[in-house]
Amino acid sequence: MPDPVLSVRALTKRFGGLVAVKGVSFDVAPGEIFGVIGPNGAGKTTLFSCLSGSQRPTSGSVHLRGERLDGLPVWAVAHRGLVCTHQIVRPFREMTVTENVAIGARFGRGHRRGADERDRIREILARTGLAARALSLAGTLTLGELKRLEIARALATEPDVLCLDEVMGGLNPAEINATMGLVRELREAGLTILIIEHHVHAVVGLSDRILVLNFGERIAEGRPEEALRDPAVVAAYFGDAAEEAAL
Amino acid sequence: MTRTRPLEVAGMLAAAGALCLAPSYLERGTLNDLWSVALAVVLASSWNLLGGLAGQVSIGYSAFLGIGAYTTVLLAPNGWSPVLTLPLGALLASVFSVLIGFPTFRLRGPYFTIATIGVGEAVRVVASGVSFTGGASGLRMPAGSFDFESNFRAMTLLAVAVVWISALVSRSAFGSALAAVKQDIDAAEALGVNSTRLKVAVHALSAALVGLAGGLFAINFQYVSPGSVFDFRLSLTIVLMPIVGGVGTVAGPVLGAILFGWLQLKLLSTPALLDSSLFIYGALLIAVMLFEPKGLLGLVKRLLARRPRRIHVDA
Repeated sequence: MPDPVLSVRALTKRFGGLVAVKGVSFDVAPGEIFGVIGPNGAGKTTLFSCLSGSQRPTSGSVHLRGERLDGLPVWAVAHRGLVCTHQIVRPFREMTVTENVAIGARFGRGHRRGADERDRIREILARTGLAARALSLAGTLTLGELKRLEIARALATEPDVLCLDEVMGGLNPAEINATMGLVRELREAGLTILIIEHHVHAVVGLSDRILVLNFGERIAEGRPEEALRDPAVVAAYFGDAAEEAAL
Repeated sequence: MTRTRPLEVAGMLAAAGALCLAPSYLERGTLNDLWSVALAVVLASSWNLLGGLAGQVSIGYSAFLGIGAYTTVLLAPNGWSPVLTLPLGALLASVFSVLIGFPTFRLRGPYFTIATIGVGEAVRVVASGVSFTGGASGLRMPAGSFDFESNFRAMTLLAVAVVWISALVSRSAFGSALAAVKQDIDAAEALGVNSTRLKVAVHALSAALVGLAGGLFAINFQYVSPGSVFDFRLSLTIVLMPIVGGVGTVAGPVLGAILFGWLQLKLLSTPALLDSSLFIYGALLIAVMLFEPKGLLGLVKRLLARRPRRIHVDA
């Protein structure tokens, strides 16, 4: 692997007695699409929270291009070039779509102002298919549009690493295809993408490699088809066949 | 970036001009009432910068008025001119806001509000207890330090300036970040907004403006005591004015301040109602909360909008 853009080492996050993420390590190469899957409660979203800085890991480290990220506040992580979307969309409902994206453009890594800011916003709205809704209040968008607004705002901060948390959840098949197309385009544009997704089909179709978590632990990692055939993964998703046969 | 609007500039200059010349065409009693309303506008609009635009409800704003007032009343006997004591009071209020901002802004929502009540009360207790403030009996301004006309002009100009500042802030990039913090602080931070720095900055700006008003307050009443400037009821009134008028808007706090200023004058001149002011304010607050959460401004807009709501269809 070339020098990884993101390195996670022995990351652990405890909530009292519950260990949500247990000693997880992985590297992500520049321009890679890296999928994170696992059953409900496997620790996927907690892992992302530890990357973005919204949760402080109990132990372990996160490095972005060699620079340590863990321990930094969320806004500082965004300025370093890593940003996560929210699984449950969090638009600024009383602002227009343009104003929502402007927050990322103005206060993210790019610190855009004036005409430069407007051009950047227009480009992002066009790319995410929100141009027609530019002047609508975010509170009036459909779920599919809100998911795209999450991506648009995150893009506006000009990240190197974009973490997408369930951006296809609740979408119809046409919207899922459109979002998959968008993710591929973003990678073509040079972004490194981490993606949590319930739609196994979508993750397998998109990801170069996937990481499978169960109860906070890494149970498999590698090319999607191989990782999914791993007996530990099959057991995590479908129960232990041998165990069931014995019953 | 914030653009200046010619009409707005003209309006502000016209208001400033009319108020500056007011002493030549209005009676002293009317001017006194206008002074009180101007003070209320300064307090309400300044509070609205933090409480309305950034959504951080502080019930400790009397502390800033008091710091401004005490700075002037303490330095005036040594021959300091208001030209020096007013900005110094503003600066001290600002510094104090930063000192209390860093610990209290770690708290969110109602917890922040409760902490500010504590800060306000602590300041009052300290001011009553230490000797250099004159303790609970307060301090007098030196004789001959009062010129009503210049104080009137200063207070009314300050009111116009504060309203203008709040208009400029609310449509600036800074204002958009405040709105983001108000609507969803976590989402704002995820997009790179340093919410603590932002809240501390707007708190400092608003405290400085209230501190300036405090200096003028001391000069106008010629007497300052913890009971007059560090009063919890004053802090409460500062919060109620923008909420009743229309929180988070530019015109709302002005409307609320005019209403409260007028009510205050009516109540003061009616002895039977003197002690019921908070009761009346409370009733107003409940009425607003129940029937028009956007305040008087929301009500006015609703009455003006007789036409059915236009539906925007974006191409």
